[in-house]
Amino acid sequence: MTAPSLPRLFVRAALTARGRGGELPGTRLARARVTVDPARLADYSAVCGYPLTGALPVTFPHLLAFPLQTALMTERAFPLALPGLVHVRQQVSVVRPIGADEALDVEVWAERLSSHRRGATVDLCAAVSAGGAEVWRGRSTYLARGATVPDGAPEADVDVPVGALDRTSARWRVPADAGRRYARVSGDVNPIHLSALSARLFGFPRAIAHGMWVEARALAALAGRLPDALTVDVAFRKPLLLPSTVDLATARAGEGWDLAVRSRDTEHLIGTVRPT
Amino acid sequence: MAAQTRKAAIVGGNRTPFARANSVYARASNQDMLTAAIDGLVARFGLQDAQVGEVVAGAVLKHSRDFNLTREAVLGSRLSAATPAYDVQQACGTGLEAAVLVANKIALGQVESGVAGGVDTASDAPVAVNEDLRRVLMELNRAKTLQQRLKALSGLRPGHLSPSVPSTSEPRTGLSMGEHAAVTAAHWGIGRTEQDELALASHRNLAAAYERGFFDDLVTPYLGLARDNNLRPDTSMEKLGKLKPVFGKGADATMTAGNSTPLTDGASAVLLASDEWAAERGLPVLAHLVDAQTAAVDHVHGGEGLLMAPVHAVPVLLARNGLTLQDFDFYEVHEAFASTVLATLKAWEDDAYCKETLGLDGALGSIDRSKLNVAGSSLAAGHPFAATGGRIVATLAKLLAEAGPGKRGLISICAAGGQGVVAILES
Repeated sequence: MTAPSLPRLFVRAALTARGRGGELPGTRLARARVTVDPARLADYSAVCGYPLTGALPVTFPHLLAFPLQTALMTERAFPLALPGLVHVRQQVSVVRPIGADEALDVEVWAERLSSHRRGATVDLCAAVSAGGAEVWRGRSTYLARGATVPDGAPEADVDVPVGALDRTSARWRVPADAGRRYARVSGDVNPIHLSALSARLFGFPRAIAHGMWVEARALAALAGRLPDALTVDVAFRKPLLLPSTVDLATARAGEGWDLAVRSRDTEHLIGTVRPT
Repeated sequence: MAAQTRKAAIVGGNRTPFARANSVYARASNQDMLTAAIDGLVARFGLQDAQVGEVVAGAVLKHSRDFNLTREAVLGSRLSAATPAYDVQQACGTGLEAAVLVANKIALGQVESGVAGGVDTASDAPVAVNEDLRRVLMELNRAKTLQQRLKALSGLRPGHLSPSVPSTSEPRTGLSMGEHAAVTAAHWGIGRTEQDELALASHRNLAAAYERGFFDDLVTPYLGLARDNNLRPDTSMEKLGKLKPVFGKGADATMTAGNSTPLTDGASAVLLASDEWAAERGLPVLAHLVDAQTAAVDHVHGGEGLLMAPVHAVPVLLARNGLTLQDFDFYEVHEAFASTVLATLKAWEDDAYCKETLGLDGALGSIDRSKLNVAGSSLAAGHPFAATGGRIVATLAKLLAEAGPGKRGLISICAAGGQGVVAILES
């Protein structure tokens, strides 16, 4: 299939939000031999601060999986309503560096519908392969506040333990249009990121940064200091309201890193990078 | 300081394939490409997390935000972040000058190893605000009262919106580099056919070098490009002969897009070291940088051609090293334009010029043309200004290593501003 249109999916998801529940469907959606448009990669890299190396940035394949995952969540049988879902955790595994010119097979599915003290969580998974071998895996955990899960569902696992992060390594002045800029390159046009007005409709005082952008920018700051094969695990904590000035803290953890993005007393993201 | 100096070893090099401007590297910045060239060198010589003595590189067309370009590239590379770096800029001589600077510190024992490099992009060139607008903005910045601010703003004109784009024009003469080269070509009577022949040889030599795998350990593919995309392996005298002249006038108009280098994007890096440092790491020594010389000519008021400075530098270098122009196994004369190379060779052959202008006893003489740019040069590979020196140093070092011990090569690079950098390498 071709990449589904995200704005259309968001509208459909909003119109069909009510009356959802039950078990997760076993649907798997896939796209075969996807190629990356060099201009899109350059735009994405510029917005996130990644250098152009000829390999895909660690977080880039998520962009290929996200429209499929959104389509899957929009299906009638999907038990949680897409509007209002909060991205609370993102795990990414890179098996090997992926060349920007490789043809990639992308498959997505949902699993682990879990109970959370504030509702329910679900994992949207993605596997990206090249020539039949898996090169990238992603697991996005979303929280549906107030949602209920069928009996017997497991407890949600959304914690990412990190070590002490005492040192600030960078200060970011995140502009008011950071959400719009990332929306343009990622296609994630969720209104909570686009403007204060549209964010207010969903209960936020101002637009909030995309979690995936915060993660990407943190990883871009570690360019040249990351292992080739790695697992990244981040938890998205409090929303990063735009505009903001926030600090990136990084600490060596063996051959990997612990990291946090925070402002004063608020933690926006904590995470770990580990070689595999 | 060390009691004795030593010759710096050239361990190897790495570069991106060169790409014609506004093609595959159109979205890559100088920092992206320089980092890629350094990281390729790191991968090739196992320098991950290693601290080298110094990284020296530069770019000719540079954004003001890139004031610390080389250090920023090091910080984004896989080298240890404890590796110091600095930028140099000597127009098209930048890359070779960077190698000379690193080699000199190695010679003095101030560093044991270093990386010399260069990068340029004509696609992602720095566009600045119009000079008039800049003056208004600076005045606005200095203004303290509302009245002063309004007065500053009143200086704004619609024409100020047109940006200031960098060009290859010489600031003092207003002539482009090609126009300058055309004047020199006419002065030395350089014909169209011999220029096209030189261009053809450059393409054939570069293509043959790629075919035999010569660049396998000198070039790392970047952004999907594996070879220089200006290379035309199938070009011919007939095809080159059909091109219309772009520089010069009338009968003297001999310079075409085929025998002039195009604007190009790319980066290069060379690893230099003391012999001991290389031996400790089990790395090869391809050649040593023996000596180097710079020169400058007065192309504004002095009547000398803009790109003729290497012609002046080489005899000084030869004399200091007790060599003649014929004592070399390879000659790498940077092909800014085919006519530049031919004018350079013709000048060295000219008895009167060598006596009167260079102050020599007589002509330096001819060179064996079969030893000239044997693995191709800028006409075929392209010429991302500051990256050319690194391309040539690594190419010549490998040619010398292939030829065996005791072989000698001469590098000659002309640069804007009437300057030139030349060097001797020896295996």
